[in-house]
Amino acid sequence: MNSMAPVDQNQKVRIDIHDLSFYYGAFKALKNVSLPLYDRKVTAFIGPSGCGKSTLLRVLNRIYELYPKQRAEGKVLLDGVNILEGKQDINLLRARVGMVFQKPTPFPMTIYDNIAYGIKLYERTRKSILDDRVEEALTRAALWNEVKGKLKESGLSLSGGQQQRLCIARTVATKPEVILLDEPCSALDPISTAKIEELIDELANEYTIVIVTHNMQQASRVSDHTAFMFLGELVEFGTTEKLFTAPQNKRTEEYITGRFG
Amino acid sequence: MVDAALSENLAATSRGAALRRFGRSDLRFRFFTGSAALLVVVIFAGLIATLVVGAWPAIKAFGFDFLVTSSWNPVTERFGAFPAIYGTVVSSAIAMLIALPIGIGIAIFLTELCPRSLKRPIGIAIELLAGIPSIVYGIWGLFVFVPYFQQTIQPRIIDAFANVPILSTLFAGPPFGVGIFTASLILSIMILPFISAVTRDVFETVPHTLKEAAYAIGCTTWEVMWNVVLPYSRSGVVGGAMLALGRALGETMAVTFVIGNAHHINSSLFSAGTTISATIASEFTEALGTLYIPALIELGLVLFGITFIVLAIAQLMLYRLNRLAGGGSK
Repeated sequence: MNSMAPVDQNQKVRIDIHDLSFYYGAFKALKNVSLPLYDRKVTAFIGPSGCGKSTLLRVLNRIYELYPKQRAEGKVLLDGVNILEGKQDINLLRARVGMVFQKPTPFPMTIYDNIAYGIKLYERTRKSILDDRVEEALTRAALWNEVKGKLKESGLSLSGGQQQRLCIARTVATKPEVILLDEPCSALDPISTAKIEELIDELANEYTIVIVTHNMQQASRVSDHTAFMFLGELVEFGTTEKLFTAPQNKRTEEYITGRFG
Repeated sequence: MVDAALSENLAATSRGAALRRFGRSDLRFRFFTGSAALLVVVIFAGLIATLVVGAWPAIKAFGFDFLVTSSWNPVTERFGAFPAIYGTVVSSAIAMLIALPIGIGIAIFLTELCPRSLKRPIGIAIELLAGIPSIVYGIWGLFVFVPYFQQTIQPRIIDAFANVPILSTLFAGPPFGVGIFTASLILSIMILPFISAVTRDVFETVPHTLKEAAYAIGCTTWEVMWNVVLPYSRSGVVGGAMLALGRALGETMAVTFVIGNAHHINSSLFSAGTTISATIASEFTEALGTLYIPALIELGLVLFGITFIVLAIAQLMLYRLNRLAGGGSK
């Protein structure tokens, strides 16, 4: 099984994952994974449960470090700098690499503060500018029209789909360079899912996006590149079109045609 | 055909009997739980009634003056509860001021920062602290803490604040050792485990993903705790704080040992004072005369009232917080 991914010379690589292994204690969850994540493209990670796709995502902003006994080996180069090396400012890294989770995670504050909070972590801005930034972020997340009359209400009063878009808006508001989406639609209804997929399309003009999904249709709809993973290994990586129409690997073919996984 | 119908009928009746049996046991269950709940109300009402009846002579004799006057004279039978009320409220408030930040700090350390191997030992130590009888705190306070406090810490505080306005009044000498501030310190140690244990438990219920989300936008541990975890779990934290405050307000033995039991109010926190429960406990045995015992009972009623007001304020505060930020653990 060849886990080295082909690199498309014509596109700029934003994150270069090189020979990455990941351990939960003694269990090796990622096995020497290497792949590029292209600038301002959507890359989807697909694969059956437990294949390591979420683990891979969680390495990219080092969120795994919150838990003891989890460690990563190898290199993850963000604009050429290895983020796994200790000297990185972890908070700055997370400001550059934003993340949206499977379940909506609005903070226990008002809708306005949910957005403004992230901005205020990094910038001292005037109230009027802050207002504009909040509106901009909510507009980008296609939520402004639904919440503009109730910015002072709790973020938890929104529906699940709205909460998830609020979380995307919150991530966008801090102006990251890369956005990680960990199965962002798995808890949502089809209409909310469609809205978020549109949003991903829109955001890809400016951000490098990585999405983990169980839903192969979703991967084929929203992504430019797809990585298929299985048992901690990268089985195949390529353009989404190629991976779904002419998979090179037999396992990939079996998975996308629904014969296993 | 007939057989089939018959057996179906039979099944139906036996099922019906079973259902009736369940219904009866359910009724018994409802009766049992209902009367248990009712019992609380009855005891509560009985307690209030007893207090009011017992205190009635004093209420009639002193009226509202009881709450605002300061003389406590068993000889002339003039009783004013103000020094005791003041001592109760002030010592508990200072104890909360000290214990709340430390208690929450311990909880944050235990849930977020503590190495796994230390988590249990520290947790157990805190729970043991809660299990120490208050009389032990009182003895330790009087024989160990008070002399040390009097000789070493108090003079330094008095000197340090001698020229600072306000503080020089609050911490004016001479160093007695016993006094309201000493009682506050002992109280704060006593309520610390309640605050940290309850707060730790509610912090543990905050979803991991919510904390991850906060870390993921680049929050520091402090920002995650202060802006996300604490607001999310505020109901529980306020609950723990109220439990602690309730204990501080009602704490008797330890306070009686170290507060000095003096019925007067002094602007200095180092001066001797008293609390409601300390007064009742230390004077009941020698209470003679027609109004002395009713006055002590009325003190109990007042303490009850203070606790009630504190709880009401906490509920109100919580309601307003919830309306502002919404949700969280309700």
